[in-house]
Amino acid sequence: MDSFLYSSDGLLAALVGEVAGSFSPILLMFGFAIVATAPALILSRMIAPRRTSNPVKFLPMESGQVPSGEGRTHFMMQYYAYVLMFVVFDVMSIFLYAWGSTIINLPKAATLPIIGFLAIMFASFAYALYQSGRKNIW
Amino acid sequence: MSTIAPEFRLSRFIASLTDIIFWVLLIFSLVGLPLVFILLFYIKLPIVNGQLLTPYLAMTWMADPSRTIPIIKSLIHTEFFRIIAFPGFGFAALLAAATIFVERKFLAKIQLRVGPLYCGKIEGILQLMGDGLKLISKEIIIPAKADKPIFWVAPLLFVGTAAAFASLIPVAPGWVVSNPNVGLLVVFATIGFFPIIVVLSSWSANSKWTFIGGIRALHQMISFEIPLILSLLGIVILTGTLNLTEIVESQQHYWWIVFMPIGAIVFFITILAELERIPFDLPEAESEIVAGWLTEFSGMMYGLIQLGTYLKLYAFAGLFTVLFLGGWNGPMVWPPFPQEIITNGITIGPITAHIPGLPLFDQDMLNGTLWFVIKTVGVILVILLPRGVFPRIRIDLLLYTGWYKLIGLAFINIFIALGLLYAGVLGHGGLIQ
Repeated sequence: MDSFLYSSDGLLAALVGEVAGSFSPILLMFGFAIVATAPALILSRMIAPRRTSNPVKFLPMESGQVPSGEGRTHFMMQYYAYVLMFVVFDVMSIFLYAWGSTIINLPKAATLPIIGFLAIMFASFAYALYQSGRKNIW
Repeated sequence: MSTIAPEFRLSRFIASLTDIIFWVLLIFSLVGLPLVFILLFYIKLPIVNGQLLTPYLAMTWMADPSRTIPIIKSLIHTEFFRIIAFPGFGFAALLAAATIFVERKFLAKIQLRVGPLYCGKIEGILQLMGDGLKLISKEIIIPAKADKPIFWVAPLLFVGTAAAFASLIPVAPGWVVSNPNVGLLVVFATIGFFPIIVVLSSWSANSKWTFIGGIRALHQMISFEIPLILSLLGIVILTGTLNLTEIVESQQHYWWIVFMPIGAIVFFITILAELERIPFDLPEAESEIVAGWLTEFSGMMYGLIQLGTYLKLYAFAGLFTVLFLGGWNGPMVWPPFPQEIITNGITIGPITAHIPGLPLFDQDMLNGTLWFVIKTVGVILVILLPRGVFPRIRIDLLLYTGWYKLIGLAFINIFIALGLLYAGVLGHGGLIQ
């Protein structure tokens, strides 16, 4: 009675593939950590005092002053260029892992295109860093 | 003078008791019993001594101590034990809690202070427990304009993500919670969740200080993620694998810090930045922006964030040990389990107990764990050290360090690794195997 939904491996229904199975403990650990620590919050909510008489207590912290304006303020774009650079170069550096993890099995000539890739990366890096260093244009 | 509260009514007390009993019975029969049956149907029960271990059989065997140890042994090798206790949450949380106490004493000694002293008889050893009780009995204040669901969930998500990160660290041969083929990429993916959680929590609190802190944390974690990723590429080039267990096994004779000290230094600095520790603690700079993105957290929510931070610290220190310091590899110093207890049993006075299957853990595993813990604690101490020594750096210097210096050094490290591989020093068929 083997099917793609149910294997004969004991009573455990093999609904997910083996690859996905090697990732499932991460999710289980994530879930366990939440299940193990959520009671601390619930317990604290149950035994700790809750006095809602004073509305000042629920204002956002502004060093003793009465809060004014919005909490979610606007910022200068001064450092925004670095966030933009991250979007591009994070992906590029992860691409390098596809090459790095198989380099032992590749012929040595296969490194040359990667050197070209690195050259493009360096050139774009230098230009992007130069532009983000010019704080007065942002 | 009675000690009972003046508004006490015995009838109401009994009514509340029967109320509680009614609800417990109702929930147990509606949720508890079906849950037990579902669990019994789906959990793959172990086979001990040729018999399928049903709960009934397990209860019967519990009465006989010589049969209990095989049951415990079979439970130790289940996935649930790994997640809950040994390489998983229990072990990591224990090390994290120890780190909190050690950090306070260690920094106090560096700065010629005393540190925690009064709680507990010996050197304030119970300080952590006292702090936990204090935090759990404090009121949780949620700001009035906050985004309440996200604000409540953020500390839990932080702890959960830190635990998911800790689950990838191999502690001893074969003792790792999750061992995917692309372990290093999963580590990067897990690290990538932290800025999202920080920005979510700082956005949901709707306060200026938390928002400034969150934006700073975003910039800092983003700037140091690329050097972190690039500094580990050298190891991947030389080992040809992304699996963390295989990376540890490749370091049986020499550690990667010997060949790639530049990569190790870059990785260490990025660890400091990702953990928001001094000198990179701009997101929580208490002399500038109150407490940064932690400003509006109170009581146990703050405690959970701290737990998550120290779990993350353990996970990063463990990752450094696994990648650069040889993981569990080390000389065999753990003594073997005494053979006569296995053959002759334990003799206490007139009674001799033969206990089959006594060594619960094998020698390799205990020795590996010992070396892993020694190295990880060493790395944790080195991570803690700058807090007592260095001041905080400016945000433009932080970005400059991350984007110009560390990325350059990481590329130098990659070319060193390539050179070692193509000069035939390391790798398959190299001079050093």
